Amino acid sequence: MFPMINIGPVSIQAAGFILIASLFIGLWTTSYFSKNLGTNGDLIENSILLGLIAGLISARVGFVLQNPSALAGNPMAMFSLTPSMLNPSFGIFVSLLAALIFAQKKHLPLWPSLDTLTPFFLFLLAGIHLSNYTTGNGYGLPTELPWGIQLWNETRHPVNLYALFLAAIYLLAMLYHTKAFKTTGFLRSGTLFSLTLSTAGLIALITRAFVSEKSLIGKFDIWQLFGFALLILGIALIYKKSYQVRKHIPVFISLGSNQDPDKNMPEAVRKLEDFSKIRGISHTYKSKDVQKQSDPSFFYNKVIEIDTGLSYNDLRSRLKNIEVDLGREPGNKVDVPIDLDILTHDIDVFITNGNQIPDPNLIKYKYVAIPLKELAPDFRHPASGILIEDIIDQLKDDHKIQMLKEVENGFEA
Amino acid sequence: MSKKRFTTIIVVVVLLSLIWVILTPSLFPEIQASTKAAAVHKGFQAPDFTLQTPEGQSISLSDYEGQPVLVFLWASWCSICKRTMPGLQSVYEEFAPEGFEILAINTSFQDSLTNAESYFESQGYTYTMLLDQDGSLSRDYQLHAVPLSVLVGPEGEVVDVIIGSGMSEAYLRAKLNEIFGERD
Repeated sequence: MFPMINIGPVSIQAAGFILIASLFIGLWTTSYFSKNLGTNGDLIENSILLGLIAGLISARVGFVLQNPSALAGNPMAMFSLTPSMLNPSFGIFVSLLAALIFAQKKHLPLWPSLDTLTPFFLFLLAGIHLSNYTTGNGYGLPTELPWGIQLWNETRHPVNLYALFLAAIYLLAMLYHTKAFKTTGFLRSGTLFSLTLSTAGLIALITRAFVSEKSLIGKFDIWQLFGFALLILGIALIYKKSYQVRKHIPVFISLGSNQDPDKNMPEAVRKLEDFSKIRGISHTYKSKDVQKQSDPSFFYNKVIEIDTGLSYNDLRSRLKNIEVDLGREPGNKVDVPIDLDILTHDIDVFITNGNQIPDPNLIKYKYVAIPLKELAPDFRHPASGILIEDIIDQLKDDHKIQMLKEVENGFEA
Repeated sequence: MSKKRFTTIIVVVVLLSLIWVILTPSLFPEIQASTKAAAVHKGFQAPDFTLQTPEGQSISLSDYEGQPVLVFLWASWCSICKRTMPGLQSVYEEFAPEGFEILAINTSFQDSLTNAESYFESQGYTYTMLLDQDGSLSRDYQLHAVPLSVLVGPEGEVVDVIIGSGMSEAYLRAKLNEIFGERD
């Protein structure tokens, strides 16, 4: 136990300092993770800050509503900046609610945003345990084990350190799995969050056994039961995401060609129909080659939406086969009979074998974004939640692009 | 991971967790703090002490059995203490008739006794001032910083421990309303 940190003549409460520090580290890691995932870091940070402020205010309001007589004679105490007079559970409830409503209003995609927030939740959890360790709250049962700590006149289980140790192991595993927060390491959005939820539940149900003063309902500790519920919830979510068979996955594909497009593009679409249902095809758009490698440097592009039961990896290898069938030579960027790129795969955000989904070209080039908007004007970016119209407004691509009318046997400007 | 392997791992983890939760009440039964030795932490018995007033009168915490007591450790050089104490006075005036007591313990081993006494008198505080001359009470109460407020309930149990400015007038009033409310 070390309730105060002394820096020269200044003493500060260790618990508060650690909580604030863990908030900052969590925010910082989450914003770094967000950049790598392509999620909306600014909005996610704003919803955290909004949640914190709403939580603090409502914790005070909750206390005052519960103890109206406290302010008798001095109503200004409502606004005093002391850390007491707070109702934590009401604060946490309002804080989550406020963040959720804000995120909904701003169209933040649920699962990618929750994945982005996992480091924040993890650091906050560690911060809470470490600050409890400094104040001696949630102290453990007496023990004779050699690692017991001296606390409240007894050698006790260092419960908070157990939880911290388990959380640290999970954090290391997560760092390894996500390649230091470069990707979620899963093909389905929300898997990382669900796994973290399960782990947090598991840590709670393991460590609460060693706590001295439990919150019992009947024979059992309420937090242990809550931990068990989180474990089951997380597992159910992972199972649903990773193992449930999906027959109708909406996928947007970008088609490109600079060799006989009027022959190759319809042929590619016909081959796509062998294993998927075409739900929509945009017009063909003609633009200068953004790579500036081919001559004559014109490219023809379309976006099509399909409905498929194929996983990302299976679909990708089918598309590669079509490319090769139509005469594409791997590595040749000058003559491209057909180029098929998966833009989005359901609502998922991931990186696998160096391929990023949603395709980064979606927020870079007109030849992808403009046909996509024609096909799906309500489309929102699965990672950031930004509307396709706003994506187009923010493009830095200044290549001219022209929609072609399709006539028999070819295109017409 | 194959579906089969995932299912196997999950079944093992869930079963072990369930066994752990079910065994917890018998392997690690709860121990209530109130049944344990004295300690300055919520739920434990407050350590007893005997100190002297500036006039030399001996007063013990155990003298106030059956009454809630605020043990407030302070120093005359501590500005947060001096900002907190007037608020304590008004709550004291409100609740003293019901049996509430404040023991304002000056940490005299690290304070000037003259400054402390003249401050206390000049403010006209009517609650009890005690002196911790040798620092033994501060050690027992694990004083890390002043002010330290320890609210002791009628049964001698620690209700709340607050380091710093948190023991405000409004907060103390709310806590006492709770204590006296329960007794009514």
